[in-house]
Amino acid sequence: MTKSTDHPVSTSRRTALKTLGAVGAAATLPLWSRYAQAQTSEPIRIGFQKHATGIGAAYGRWYERTTDAAVAKINAEGGINGRMVELVTEDDGTDPKRGAEVLEKFANQSKCDVAFGTLYSHVVIGSAPRAAELKLPYFVVSEGHHVASGILNRWTVQPGITDVKSQVQAMAPFVSKTLGKKVTMIYPDFAFGYDHRDNFSAAMKAQGGEVLEMIAVPPTETSFTKYFPKIPRDTEVLYHVMVGPAVLTFVKELGEFFGPNRPELFGFIDSLEAVDMASPGLEFLEGTYFWEGMPRYLQPDTPDYVKTYRDAVGIDANGASVNDAKDVSTAAHMFGCWETLHVIKAGMEASGYVGPKDRQKLIEAVEAMSVMPAGLAHPQGGKLFNGKTHQVFGPQYISQVENGKLVVKHTAAITDTLYADEVDYTAQSF
Amino acid sequence: MRRICALILLISALIPGAALAHASEGGFVLLLPTGLYAAGGVTVVVLTVLLVALLPGRQSLALFRPLPLWRAAPRVRAGWISLLVLAILAWAVIQGWVGEQDPTHNPLPLIVWTGGWVILLLIQAILGDVWRALNPWTGLWWRLGRPAPLRYPAALGHWPAVVGLLALAGFLLADIAPAAPGRLAWVVALYWALQMLGLCLFGLPWLLRAEAITVMMRAYVGLSLLGRSRGRRAIGLSGWRRMAQQTPPPAGQAVFILLMLAIGSFDGVNETFWWFARIGMNPLEFTGRSAVVWQSLGGLALACLLLVAVFAATTRAGLWLLQSTLPPGRVIRLLVPSILPIALGYHLAHYLPVLLVEGQYLALMLNDPMETGVNLLGLAGAHVTTGFFNTQATVRVIWLTQAGAVVFGHVIAILMAHGLALRLFETPRKAALSQIPLAIFMVLYTIFGLWLLASPRGV
Repeated sequence: MTKSTDHPVSTSRRTALKTLGAVGAAATLPLWSRYAQAQTSEPIRIGFQKHATGIGAAYGRWYERTTDAAVAKINAEGGINGRMVELVTEDDGTDPKRGAEVLEKFANQSKCDVAFGTLYSHVVIGSAPRAAELKLPYFVVSEGHHVASGILNRWTVQPGITDVKSQVQAMAPFVSKTLGKKVTMIYPDFAFGYDHRDNFSAAMKAQGGEVLEMIAVPPTETSFTKYFPKIPRDTEVLYHVMVGPAVLTFVKELGEFFGPNRPELFGFIDSLEAVDMASPGLEFLEGTYFWEGMPRYLQPDTPDYVKTYRDAVGIDANGASVNDAKDVSTAAHMFGCWETLHVIKAGMEASGYVGPKDRQKLIEAVEAMSVMPAGLAHPQGGKLFNGKTHQVFGPQYISQVENGKLVVKHTAAITDTLYADEVDYTAQSF
Repeated sequence: MRRICALILLISALIPGAALAHASEGGFVLLLPTGLYAAGGVTVVVLTVLLVALLPGRQSLALFRPLPLWRAAPRVRAGWISLLVLAILAWAVIQGWVGEQDPTHNPLPLIVWTGGWVILLLIQAILGDVWRALNPWTGLWWRLGRPAPLRYPAALGHWPAVVGLLALAGFLLADIAPAAPGRLAWVVALYWALQMLGLCLFGLPWLLRAEAITVMMRAYVGLSLLGRSRGRRAIGLSGWRRMAQQTPPPAGQAVFILLMLAIGSFDGVNETFWWFARIGMNPLEFTGRSAVVWQSLGGLALACLLLVAVFAATTRAGLWLLQSTLPPGRVIRLLVPSILPIALGYHLAHYLPVLLVEGQYLALMLNDPMETGVNLLGLAGAHVTTGFFNTQATVRVIWLTQAGAVVFGHVIAILMAHGLALRLFETPRKAALSQIPLAIFMVLYTIFGLWLLASPRGV
């Protein structure tokens, strides 16, 4: 571990004032009068449902780092409605049952104003009904289609990260126009893979393309050579979304199978999130394409607000921790925490939020949101929030591996990501 | 001799399949030539078996003779250290109740699981008996200075500690949130109070026989390199302290030691894709510990039963080979301590990655334990990293260290088992013959341990 003094580590109650002092005094002296008021008020308590243990722990660590950085920034700018933000972190164990218990603690014990943070779909789906019972605004950073699909409720919103359905369908225009029309899909044989299978095949069809073969691989598989002969010879694009510890083996074996004569390859970075693209064994991916939720590597045309965001979180030009160049971040997902916290702030300010009795007003204020311009509050890009489906829509990035780094080649417009509403939560009662 | 041949044939038929079935599989671990490494490790263990069998007479016992150092000072009763530990534990328990509930920041889980279960246990097993001073009971008990009103019932033996160990293992492996600070605080407080009550009622025999952590720590200290021998400080090969004890452990303690290994082994198995397939779970979409409480408890119970049964069977098989009339129970008890180094090897191998990550959280907590802004260790502003899991070179070093611990544990185990057998049988040849089934068991256990390390994991 190396020392860094420019990024606050934690924003728990006892450090909130320290953070305020350190960041505020250095950066924004003119706001002192607001701090004075903030220090005398009760803080806004945000319950952070963190994957500290369990299968999501690697994401949890970076979600926390981004969240801490966002809270420090918001507090340094005077907090929310002039009140400091205090994070109350609970571990959900990446477990739906514990997720629901954590929400209950937020509402009943630690007197949180809102709950925030979860990534894994099964935890969101397990927790959301409790959020509705507790009438606790639940801001998820999950990427799942479960919010917009209508299976959740009015108290659950996803305003800081796009959903998998919009991501996948937005890839089809680029794939069909640039890489080829004849696609073979290879995906893990469970819900995560099915999202890709169903949404991408439909979107390709709409683009005049064709999915030649859909190869489902059992999730416990650790060798893939027997699946590769099923790839039709006239495949122009191989769409792959393998996840889990065997991904590196998958890439290696794919390289051995195709050699230099490979079709175009298109994948989702979920497969290699937090993995160094320059790792030995990944050479085969050189020249191939990936979806990225947000570019991991600093691009030549990166706007200043993105640089500020990256510096605040503490990631270098390669998307790795400034403390350890080998500690690669979950860049494609973690920005969602930063943006969601800014939406909570905007929602609370728009609704004049004072305390738990205003929770309904907060949800209504978020539902009323629409255009979210790109900037320091939305570093991933400008967004469009759909108040009826509680889901945000935004740009999607397609990058190519060049010299072991991901270089953005195409940015799918928001219009490519939209689909017909599947629910109107605003018609549901609170 | 025919019996020996039949046994060797039977077992050798099983080995190659077991060795190769999961040879090259886990991210970077899956890309490492773990099959090759494992073959090397197993070869070392097999060679040890052969070497021990061929060593003339009692030479293998000489390995466990310690090197005397300087004259040891008389033991002092350092009750204040125990009191200090108690104070720290009490503070941590209160933090568990009132502090931040994130287990990577709250002092209680970091102190109990990372500091105690992982690190302290290793110190005890490698450097010597620190638990004698650090346990949170004796300091207070001495200070109270009351004679025990009751006599510890001899019939209970070490069995209460066996029950305690199973309860601790069940909590660690099957509870839905063993690291949740608030929950852990209750468990620690209740466990401490219960054992304190036992100590006050029955005196020290309670701690030595009924308190699971003390029994475990005292078992592991038998492996420490440092110790006392004939009034001097001494250093020797891991296991020398245990080998210096002439009497076999009583039945309860013997079972306790076997369960230590069974629990440690299941703690690895329950993370493998293989186990997930057994319980019908998708490891890539693991729904969390709440969905597998009963499966984990069942697996744990099965592992415990299986290990005790297999160990007893191998020992009996050895006696059968020699047509020996020695009482099997006594022989089993005598040989059981040879399992200790394997259990320690598994512990180190399994918890090394945990130590590398959670150790950083522990260091950050110790840097500013009260969150007052002090910078005791100069770590202010540092972030926990897991970068060493992201390069092949570092993953290789970690894997080989883990594998080395497993192999070394087995090598010591074989040496100890042979030395212990020499005490039972009149000739070295008979001792070697009696060890064939146990040696085969240990070779197979090496294969199992290395397979565990190489297997893809879901959590």
